[in-house]
Amino acid sequence: MTALSLSPAAPFWEAWVERNLKYIFLAPAVLILLGLTAFPTLYMYAVAFQKYDPADPTNSQWVGLDNFVRLLSDDKFHNSLWRTLEFTVSAVSVEFLLGLSFALLVDRYVRRLNFVKTILMLPMMLPPISVAIVWKLMYQPDFGIINSFLRALGLPALQWASGFGTAMLSIVLVDIWEWTPFIFLMCLAGLASMPVEPFEAAEIDGANAWQKFRDLTWPFLRPVIAITLLLRIMDAFRLFDQVFILTLGGPAAATETLSFYIYKVAFRFFDLGYAAAISIFMLVVTMTFSSWLLRRMKLAE
Amino acid sequence: MVAWVVIAFALVYTVFPVFWLFSNSLKSRLDMFAVPPLLIPHPTLYNYIQAFVERPFLIYMLNSLIVAVFTTILSLAIGTMAGYALARYDYGRAKRHVAFWILSTRMMPPIVSIVPLYIFFSVLHLLDSKMTLVIAYTGFNLPFVTWMMRSYFADIPRDLEESAQIDGDTALGAFLRIILPLARPGLAATAIFCLILSWNEFLFALILTETENANTLPIGIAGRITQYKTEWGEISASGFAACVPIVLFAFAVQRHLVRGLSFGAVKG
Amino acid sequence: MSIKQIFYSWKASCVAAVLAVAFGLGGAAAADLTIAIPAGSEGDGLKAAASDYEQLKHIKIDIVQAPYANLLEKAQNAGAQKSGAYDIVLMDDPWLPLFAENNYLEPLGSYFKTAGTDGPDNDFLGKSLALCRNPYNTGPYVCLPYVGNAQMFFYDPDQFGKHGVTGAPKSWDDVIRVAGEISKEGNGQNFGYVMRAAEGNPVVADFMPIFWSYGGQLFDDKRQPNLLTPEAHKAMEIFLQLKQVSPPGVESFNADEVGTYMAQGRAASSINWPNWVATFEDPSQSKVVGKIAYTKIPDGTRAGTSEIGHWLMGIMRAAKHKKAAFDFMVWATSPEEIKKSAMRGNPPVRFSVFTDPELTSQPQFRHFPTLMNAINFSTPRPRHPKWPEIENALGAELSKAVAGQQSADQALMNAQEAIKKIVAR
Repeated sequence: MTALSLSPAAPFWEAWVERNLKYIFLAPAVLILLGLTAFPTLYMYAVAFQKYDPADPTNSQWVGLDNFVRLLSDDKFHNSLWRTLEFTVSAVSVEFLLGLSFALLVDRYVRRLNFVKTILMLPMMLPPISVAIVWKLMYQPDFGIINSFLRALGLPALQWASGFGTAMLSIVLVDIWEWTPFIFLMCLAGLASMPVEPFEAAEIDGANAWQKFRDLTWPFLRPVIAITLLLRIMDAFRLFDQVFILTLGGPAAATETLSFYIYKVAFRFFDLGYAAAISIFMLVVTMTFSSWLLRRMKLAE
Repeated sequence: MVAWVVIAFALVYTVFPVFWLFSNSLKSRLDMFAVPPLLIPHPTLYNYIQAFVERPFLIYMLNSLIVAVFTTILSLAIGTMAGYALARYDYGRAKRHVAFWILSTRMMPPIVSIVPLYIFFSVLHLLDSKMTLVIAYTGFNLPFVTWMMRSYFADIPRDLEESAQIDGDTALGAFLRIILPLARPGLAATAIFCLILSWNEFLFALILTETENANTLPIGIAGRITQYKTEWGEISASGFAACVPIVLFAFAVQRHLVRGLSFGAVKG
Repeated sequence: MSIKQIFYSWKASCVAAVLAVAFGLGGAAAADLTIAIPAGSEGDGLKAAASDYEQLKHIKIDIVQAPYANLLEKAQNAGAQKSGAYDIVLMDDPWLPLFAENNYLEPLGSYFKTAGTDGPDNDFLGKSLALCRNPYNTGPYVCLPYVGNAQMFFYDPDQFGKHGVTGAPKSWDDVIRVAGEISKEGNGQNFGYVMRAAEGNPVVADFMPIFWSYGGQLFDDKRQPNLLTPEAHKAMEIFLQLKQVSPPGVESFNADEVGTYMAQGRAASSINWPNWVATFEDPSQSKVVGKIAYTKIPDGTRAGTSEIGHWLMGIMRAAKHKKAAFDFMVWATSPEEIKKSAMRGNPPVRFSVFTDPELTSQPQFRHFPTLMNAINFSTPRPRHPKWPEIENALGAELSKAVAGQQSADQALMNAQEAIKKIVAR
C-alpha cells in the first residue's frame, strides 16, 4: 500500500498532507460550523438594527437600537421569557429529583437489566411529533383517556392543555415523561462507576445512609449531574415542537415560549428586525450561561 | 420489593403512550373519540392505507431515510476527523477554545439560526432540496459527533499509533489502519445517534422544505393538521410508523446510550 | 479486514457521500408553471385540477404544498425577495391585503384586456369577486376566487325543536337560551353549543360573526381600532354567555374539536366551516348522519353575518410564467372546472354551480343553497396588511377573557391598545 507509506519518492501532496494533517482533519468541521453559525449570527446582528420592510427588504431602514428598546416594553416578550423560565425550572427540577431518586432507589436492581434501560430510553428517542400527537389526544378534556381515568377513580377531571392554569403543567408533564429517564440513566451510569472501597470504609465508621450520600455519592456524581443538567437546561430553554403541536402557545399565551414567540414574530408577523433582536437576546443568554457552566466544569480541558 | 413496584410502574407509565398511539392508529375516527375510550380497538387498517397508499407518506418516509443516511455519512466523516484531531494533536492554547466553540454551536437555539438560514438558502435557490437539509443537519450533528468520537479516541492508547509509525506508517495511515477499526463500536453508536437526530428533526424541515421533493416524515404528519380539521387517523398511523425504526435503533445503541446522550462526557 | 479494504471502504464512502450530496439530491427539472397551495382539501383540489391541466396542455406543473402557516411564510418570503419561485399562490383571503399592499401580486387588468374582457364574468358571486380586488371591492383585480367558504351555523333541529325552536334559530338569544337548557340537562355529557376559542385565528373567527351581528366594526374610517363601543361590549357579553353553555376546555378548541363534538353527537350547535358537512354525513366518522341542519349565522341586533373565508389564486409579481399562470387560472375557475372542484369537496364560487340540480340533489351538497346565502350575506375580515399580527393581538385578549383571566371590558380595552400600537408601527 504505497499510498500510505511515506517513502522519499512520495509525491509532494502526500508529504504536505502528512505535515498538515492536524489542520486538515479539523478544517472541514470548523468551516461547516462557521458557515452555519457565524453567518446567521452576523446576519442577525445586521437585521436587528433595521426596520424590516416586507415590500422590499433591500429598502429596510437603519433604526439603531429601536428594536432593542422595544424589548423593554413588549409585554408579550416578557411573558414569553417568564414562561420559558417557568417551564425550564419546573421541568428540569422535577426531572432531576425524580431521576436521581429513582436511580438511587433501583441502582442495585436494574444494573444488569438492559431491557429495562432500553425501554426507559424510548420516550426521549421517539420523534417529538409522535409524542406530541399522542399526548394531545390523551389530554383532550372530554374524549381523552387521562380524564376518563381520573373520572373512573372519582377524581375531578382537569382541562389539561386547554386550561389556562393547566396548559403549562401539561407541557411540563410531557417533558417529564420524555426526559426523566435521561437523568435517571446518566445518574445510573455515574453510580455504576463509583468505587466500592470508600463505602466499605464508611460502613465500618458507622456512617448513616444520609452521611454516605452527602459525603461520598454526591461529590462523586457531581460532574455527571453538571453535564446532565447543562444539556437538559439548554434543551428545555429552546422548547418548540411540543408547543407547536400541543397548544400553539395558548391559551392566552400561557405556553408561549421564547422560541415560539420568535417563530411568530418572524414567520407570522414578518417583523424580521424585531425577531432578530429577540433572537440576539436569547443567544446571549444561552451562550453566557452555557459557557459559564462549561468553563466551571472544565469540560473542555 | 418497593424498588420492583416502582420499576414496574415506571415501565407501564413509559410504554403506555406508545401503546396508545398504536391503538389509536387502528381506530376509526368515531372510535378514537369514543367515551369511555376503547382500550382495545376494533382494528382497521384504514388509517395506514389512507396515509401510505392514498397519500404520499411513503415518499415522506423515504425522504426522511435518505436525508438521515446522508447526514450520518457526512457528519461521521467530518466529525470523526475533527474528533481525532482534538483527541490527539496539540494546538497549544487554541485547542481548548476550538473544542469548546464546537460544542457551543450545539447550544445555539435552532430558532435563532433558522431565520437567516432560511433567507440564505432561499437566495441561493436551495430551498426544498434534500441536500440543503443534509447540510443543515450535518451542522447540527457535528458538535455531537466530534465530542463523541473524541471521547472514544481518548480511550484508545496512544502507543498504538506510535508503534505503527515506528514501523514506517504515516500518521494518516496509522489513523485509518489502526485507530478507526478499534473505534468501530463507537462509530456505530455515533452513527445511530445521528440517524435518530435527523429522523426526528422538526423545525428545520418545517421551514426549509416545501414539497414531496424534500418533505420529511414529521412535516408530512404536521401537514395533516389543517385549519379546518385534523386527520387524527392518518397522523396516528404515520406517527406510529415513525417510531418503529427508532425502537429498533434504541435496542441497537443500548450499550452506548449514556455516552451518546452526554456528548461523550460520561462513559456508561 | 485488510488495510486496503479499510482504506478504500472509508475513502469510497466519503467520496460517494460527497458526490451524492452534490449531485444526486439537488435540483428538479424546470417546470412550466409552479403553484403554491396549502395542505388540506383546498390544496388537494387544485392539485388534482393542475394534473388534469398537465394532461390537457402537455406541460409540466410543479406543486408546492405546505401546511397552512408555512404556505403564508413561504409565499411572503417569495414576494419580499422577488424570487419568482412561485407563479401562482393559492391564498387564504385574509392574507390578501398583506400581499397586495406590499406589491407581491400582479394586477390582472391588462391580462383581461388582452383576453378581450373587462374582468371576471358575473356568474361568480359578487362577494367572492369583491375579495379579489384591492382595495376591497373597488380596486383592480389581483386574483381570482377558487374555493368559496363562509361560516355556517350548524345545529340539530330535533334538539332545538324539543326546546321550542322550530326551524333555524333566529337570534343569538334563542341559541343561548336553548343551548343553556340542553347543556343543563346534558349534565356535563351533552352541550347545547360548542365554541371555538383557541388563541389566535380560531377565537377571532368565532367572535367576528357575533361582533358584526351586534353592529361592531373593528376599524373606523381612519383605519384605527374601534373596540370601545357599546356594540363591541354587547358582542363580548354574548360571546362570554356562549362560553358558559359550551363544554369545558373551549379555550384550546379549534375547528377540529368543534367538529368532533358535533360528529360525536355531544353538542347541538356551533359555527363551523362547510368542509365538515362531508364528515357529518360519513357514517365511519359521525354519529349524526342526516341529523345536522345548516343555516345562516343567527341575528344579533342586526342581521347575522358570517365570516367569509375564500381561497384565492393570484399571480406573483416576480413570477416567471405570468401569461401561462393567467391562462391556468381562467381555466381552473371556469364553470366546468369549478363544478369539478365542488365534486372534489371544495365549495364553489359560482352561482351556476351552487344551483346546479345535479349537485344539489345529492345529500353531501344539500347545504349549497344555505352556503351561497351565507356567502352573499358574509363580511370579510378587516382588510389590513398587518392582519395576522392584529388577529393575534385580538385573539390573545379574547382568549384571556374566555379563560376567565380578565373581564370583557378589560379584554376590549387591552385589544384596542395593542392594535393601536401595531397599526402605528
